[in-house]
Amino acid sequence: MKNFEHSNAASFEQAAQELQAAKYSQPIAGGTDLLGTLKTNILPNYPSLVVNLKTIPDAAYIRDMGDKVAMGALTTLADVEKSDVFTGELKAVAEAAHSVATPIIRNSATVGGNLCQDVRCWYYRYPDAVGGKLLCARKGGDECYAIQGRNQYHSIMGGMHTGHNACSTECPAGTDIPAYMEKIRANDWDGAAEIILRVNPMPMLTARVCPHTCQTKCNQCQHGDSVSIHSVERALGDYILAHADKFYPAPAQETGKKVSIVGGGPAGLTAAYYLRKAGHSVTIYEKMEEAGGVMMYGIPEYRLPKHYVRDLVKAIVGMGVVIKNNTEVGKDITLEEIKSASDTVFLDTGAWKQPILGIDGESLTQFGLNFLVEVKKFMTKQIGKEVLVCGGGNVAMDVALTAVRLGAQKVKLVCLEQRDEMPASAEEIARAEEEGVEIFNGWGLKKVITGADGKITGLESMNCLSVRDESGRFNPSYGEETRVFSSDCIILATGQKVDIDFLGEKYREELKSARGLIEVGEHRDTRAPGIYAGGDAAYGPSVAIKAIRDGGIAARSMSRYMGFEPEVPARDKGFTKFDPERIYVTKGAVEKDTPVAERCLDKEDSTSLTMEEARAEAGRCMNCGCYSVNASDMATVMVALDAEIHTTEQTFKAADFFSVMHSVDQLKPGELVTEIQLPKMPGYRTGYLKMRLREAIDFAVTALAYAYKEEDGVIVDARLVAGGIAPVPVRLTAAEQVLIGKKKSAELAQEAFAAAMKDAQPMKENAYKLQEVKAQIVRSLEL
Amino acid sequence: MEMSKELTLHINGQTYEFTIGRKLGQIPESETLLETLRERLGLTGTKLSCGEGACGCCAVLMDGKAVASCVTLTAECGGKEITTIEGLADPVTGELDPIQEAFLEHNAFQCGFCTPGIIIAVKSLLNANPHPTEDEIKEALSGNFCRCISHYQVIEAVQSIVKGGEQA
Repeated sequence: MKNFEHSNAASFEQAAQELQAAKYSQPIAGGTDLLGTLKTNILPNYPSLVVNLKTIPDAAYIRDMGDKVAMGALTTLADVEKSDVFTGELKAVAEAAHSVATPIIRNSATVGGNLCQDVRCWYYRYPDAVGGKLLCARKGGDECYAIQGRNQYHSIMGGMHTGHNACSTECPAGTDIPAYMEKIRANDWDGAAEIILRVNPMPMLTARVCPHTCQTKCNQCQHGDSVSIHSVERALGDYILAHADKFYPAPAQETGKKVSIVGGGPAGLTAAYYLRKAGHSVTIYEKMEEAGGVMMYGIPEYRLPKHYVRDLVKAIVGMGVVIKNNTEVGKDITLEEIKSASDTVFLDTGAWKQPILGIDGESLTQFGLNFLVEVKKFMTKQIGKEVLVCGGGNVAMDVALTAVRLGAQKVKLVCLEQRDEMPASAEEIARAEEEGVEIFNGWGLKKVITGADGKITGLESMNCLSVRDESGRFNPSYGEETRVFSSDCIILATGQKVDIDFLGEKYREELKSARGLIEVGEHRDTRAPGIYAGGDAAYGPSVAIKAIRDGGIAARSMSRYMGFEPEVPARDKGFTKFDPERIYVTKGAVEKDTPVAERCLDKEDSTSLTMEEARAEAGRCMNCGCYSVNASDMATVMVALDAEIHTTEQTFKAADFFSVMHSVDQLKPGELVTEIQLPKMPGYRTGYLKMRLREAIDFAVTALAYAYKEEDGVIVDARLVAGGIAPVPVRLTAAEQVLIGKKKSAELAQEAFAAAMKDAQPMKENAYKLQEVKAQIVRSLEL
Repeated sequence: MEMSKELTLHINGQTYEFTIGRKLGQIPESETLLETLRERLGLTGTKLSCGEGACGCCAVLMDGKAVASCVTLTAECGGKEITTIEGLADPVTGELDPIQEAFLEHNAFQCGFCTPGIIIAVKSLLNANPHPTEDEIKEALSGNFCRCISHYQVIEAVQSIVKGGEQA
């Protein structure tokens, strides 16, 4: 055991203060749980201080208070099981205490410690010293090893989120991917839509253009393909757009506040959606003919057909958002004018400017983004015979493929990066090569070579030794070697720049950052009160989903600034479920692709999954969370007997205290459980049943705490709480309802069991627990 | 500099003065009672087996009740009366405790590794309940593991002193 500071507390207050003052601290009562975790070093943070609570006077007692019984948190389980107070109607308490561990442990272990103990899952408890750290979802990792591993002692009711879903964390917008997957598995597409629309109002677009790095974090990657998140999202996005009237409703109430948005790109449309939803009046100023930004103009039709963008814009306009097209702020109207007519302003003008590289002959080249914007013009013009695209990102891939499809005879692509460093996604690179684009890695631009007539004949390039310097910054270094690539049309897709000249002199000076972007804070606020910004204009060129995130954050901040607290959607209650069969499918769904020969510029290459296919793919999502079960026997009884848990700060109902996996997570730093109060239950028959493999020192495989009131053979009240079957004790309300008002019988017990386990979803190895739950219900009825 | 904390331990009728700290000879805060007994005081009758309180081999009496010394911090034992297997015999006459005699009588051990813990658990039981039933004996010993299957002889041994009226 590593060392720690240690102090003996003289009072709960003193203990709380000391615990709070130390960075990492742990209280110790009996120590039978804590010392085990310290010896195996499984806690996320080893405590620097351990505070002994056993020295607190008058903290171990059992007192009859008339209509209730009070129990000090430091009372040992041995004293609880032997107490006369728990021989009658509160017998369940003694039975649960007696069922814990061994007599030797019960002489030290306390009630408070039992209630606050940590989970016993064998993956969680796996000693780090044996074969390395197992960082499960409960320990700051993101995977529950029990889902596909040995799970005979795990939950049969589903799991609980731990707040560490790798896919959601990876998503810049924090999309709750597992939650919408779960809804889709249940065929609840409206529910799924509601979840995704909380953070992203345009999944039909992001599904098609987002690099979906979430998929690289999917825990299915350890077993085979990642869940094809983008395909499921695409089917969901298509569903949302097909029912736009339902998902883009006009607000029920107007707030009377005015918002202006400069730039109708992904960030602006996102902000518009949430601000309009909140009832504000929203006007978007858009310099182009149509809103949509890069989605509309920068991404080729074959990847993102424009009708999706137009339909989305139409839906948002349908909510009452006003879009002023062909209106360039800085030219047609000034920011000052907009600001003075609005309560808040959001700026998301993107990154559209061509960077100047400073190479000879640069003026003869084309700018990649312009090329994509004006591709229609190019279609009527002769494209070069030998096109050379410079750049390694997704824009470069789009440019190269568009050139191929425009009829270029040969398309080559050079970029600084080596293959594994290219910023473009692997799928896009594969696609380009599939269509004949030849990629040359590790070459930088030196100069454009021209013939006697002044026309381009090629590019002289130099070999790139490394793209980034030691500190990781973009700072390419070149070698001596040069190489000439022949070409009659060079397109530069080496990045885009942000232009903030539209702000006008006053605002430009006030708002600009050291990098020449718009400086924003955490809430997407700028230096000017009431003006917010986001997307590429604030962060430099990046992906749409980051702009969407910014639009969402800005919308919330702007609402708050205007005096309206944004609604926070309530988290779904209930346990997370997964499909116990389909999680073993290792092949991900693949969208149908047009054969290379038939691909063109104006039709989408791939076809969305059908809703059924998407639902099947959603079945591969493991709904990562924690699938362990509650360890505390006493907790199960406390919930059944409706006890109160008193702490140094507050009083919890047992059902609330044990509604989260590790109850102490609900406590403030230093807060300690001090006392448990149990209402007396005259006329009730209570008890605690525990099924386990060994008579001693074993945790419940299944447990049942019960309290019945019977009159003339009829059950007039019933309280049943099961332990060991879910991450927290589960009140079997449905079973209680079946039992109340009826005469007990074997048939009734069966009916109660069926009702209780209606939502059960055992894992591969633990369906047997259902039988144990049934046996315990029967036994509790003394049949 | 922080003052060293004093710690007075009462073990097997003797008083030991220690200080808690990190210097040579001091007891670190994280030291378990088992480590103090075996490594500082040479009381090696108390055994280390599972190290997490599950097997009962490290049981000692604390104020007359059996506790697992491997999950007990020495720093928290100040003022407690600790008795190990070495402390059961009469310190003056050297006469063994009746439980120990009964175990010898009934060969209630084989390799003997777990026996000190079992005897401590029996002592703890008889302190609280001088006339236990067979079920109560089994229950009280349910936290003591034995790999040589000495349980049958152990129960006979315990029953012999309960029946014989020679209370521990």
